[in-house]
Amino acid sequence: MRSSVKGSGNVAATADDTEDHTDTPASSPPPARRRLGPVAMVVSFFGELLITAGLVLALFVAYSLWWTNVVADRTAAKQADEVRDNWAKGSDGDGPVSFDTKDGIGFLHVPAMSGDEILVEKGTSMKVLNDGVAGYYTDPVKAALPTSGKEGNFSLAAHRDGHGAKFHGIHKIEKGDPIVFETKDKWYVYKTFAILPETSKYNVDVLSKIPKESGRKKAGHYITLTTCTPVYTSTYRYIVWGELVRTEKVDSDRTPPEELR
Amino acid sequence: MYSWIWRHLPGNGWVRALISLVLIIAVVYILFQYVFPWAEPLLPFNDVTVDNQ
Repeated sequence: MRSSVKGSGNVAATADDTEDHTDTPASSPPPARRRLGPVAMVVSFFGELLITAGLVLALFVAYSLWWTNVVADRTAAKQADEVRDNWAKGSDGDGPVSFDTKDGIGFLHVPAMSGDEILVEKGTSMKVLNDGVAGYYTDPVKAALPTSGKEGNFSLAAHRDGHGAKFHGIHKIEKGDPIVFETKDKWYVYKTFAILPETSKYNVDVLSKIPKESGRKKAGHYITLTTCTPVYTSTYRYIVWGELVRTEKVDSDRTPPEELR
Repeated sequence: MYSWIWRHLPGNGWVRALISLVLIIAVVYILFQYVFPWAEPLLPFNDVTVDNQ
């Protein structure tokens, strides 16, 4: 009960009436906000700007870690379907057997990292990698494609987070784990033999034909996976090296090699 | 700022709330579709390759 209520005849009625009367004048002169001084207005505007900036940053995190994955997985799945379609068509008849490098050259399977196949395309520009695929290096050190049959280093890069995050689980790969590269008519089975959990982003030597830091001294058929580390940042690079163990011909059912079963 | 926008929206409370919702969705769409893709390469969060630049 309000202290302003002044006693008179009927107590109950007066109390109700008085409350109505005292409330109405307080709320009817429209917005109390108009009474804000210029300083308070500037402060409140600035505060709203800060809240907005916080929300935009939160949205950016959602965009980076979630939305780019949605978009990239969709694009990658579409491109992968195209590659599989082309392969299927090529094997049917007399169509040109040479694959179109623009559409991707094959699929990477790393069971230790994820159960999904990763489409491999040419180049490591953001434009290529943002489609949720792995790219083989053309610069600064050109990758040696396994299909060429020559000795060299098949060096690949993919995103650790966002844009498909294809190499997100790279830290789960251990020495001895298989890395399988699938092309139209061959499975290339590699075995992980060295891991460099952290190196400078300028360390292009990891891509060389004989990657010395892996401990190998002689030329061979190597594969190199590169991505950024630690997760959610790009401070360093994470490197995984593998070596070709054997190749298998693709049969008519595309039966995967035993490492993938 | 936001109260100023609210006061300048037409209609009653429900209409204003609806218009606000549409405005928010439009802003989020513009951010996701144009602003973030533009800003992302400028930020050092997602470089994955080794290079000598």
